[in-house]
Amino acid sequence: MDWQSLGYAAIQVAHNFGAVSVVGGPLFALWPTPFDRKRARPIAWLVFAGWIVQIVSGAAFGAASYVWFGHFPDIHGIAVAALLVKIACAVAGLVLTAYHLANRREGAGDARRIWRSLLALGATALIAAAFLRWLS
Amino acid sequence: MLKLATLLAAATISAAPPALAATGSITITSPVDGAKLDAMAQTKLVYAVVPGPGGDHTHLYIDGKEVAILRELEGTRTLETMTPGAHGICIKVVNKAHTPIGLQKCIKVTVE
Repeated sequence: MDWQSLGYAAIQVAHNFGAVSVVGGPLFALWPTPFDRKRARPIAWLVFAGWIVQIVSGAAFGAASYVWFGHFPDIHGIAVAALLVKIACAVAGLVLTAYHLANRREGAGDARRIWRSLLALGATALIAAAFLRWLS
Repeated sequence: MLKLATLLAAATISAAPPALAATGSITITSPVDGAKLDAMAQTKLVYAVVPGPGGDHTHLYIDGKEVAILRELEGTRTLETMTPGAHGICIKVVNKAHTPIGLQKCIKVTVE
């Protein structure tokens, strides 16, 4: 096994767990049991951490390529659009989760809407990831 | 921490692209380098690739612009229509992250 593959695999592990957090967290907050703001709060921290991991590990993919090969990944067209979608989702997800964590006085309806939005952002990022991976 | 830094440094030093490229190869059988192509005819690219360690698949470029992913290591690909004039056709081996690893083959053709 070469060091580059090991490095990419380590980054991929972090990226995969980040993806699980940002999609699974909102899903678990909303379903299968009725929404409970108290139960959802620790999940919000997990989702917040998940988006940070997504951003850092995503950047690490590019950084690793540049350090090891002197080039960033060579992507074009649909893959660039998918990457931009992922970045937009990550930034929006991070900001929205931070807002939710900071705003303890929001109503249950608002909280539910935020969690639904977070679920949509996570799912969109996950879908975009597939296009980024296969349509460079 | 020092050990980790040492390991990372070793990994970086051992990651020189020429070393990776040394055991791979790219052959473009058709068109040949310097070929004159008919603007009205379809041009087929015939190639064979040995990606070497670290290589996964290849990207095809015309005039520096990526036009296709070549996942088959050996095959034929119909090229998009090119305008009259000189053009460069390149195949680059990339890794799973779509990063060129330094192994590439480029030819020049003239479309008339």
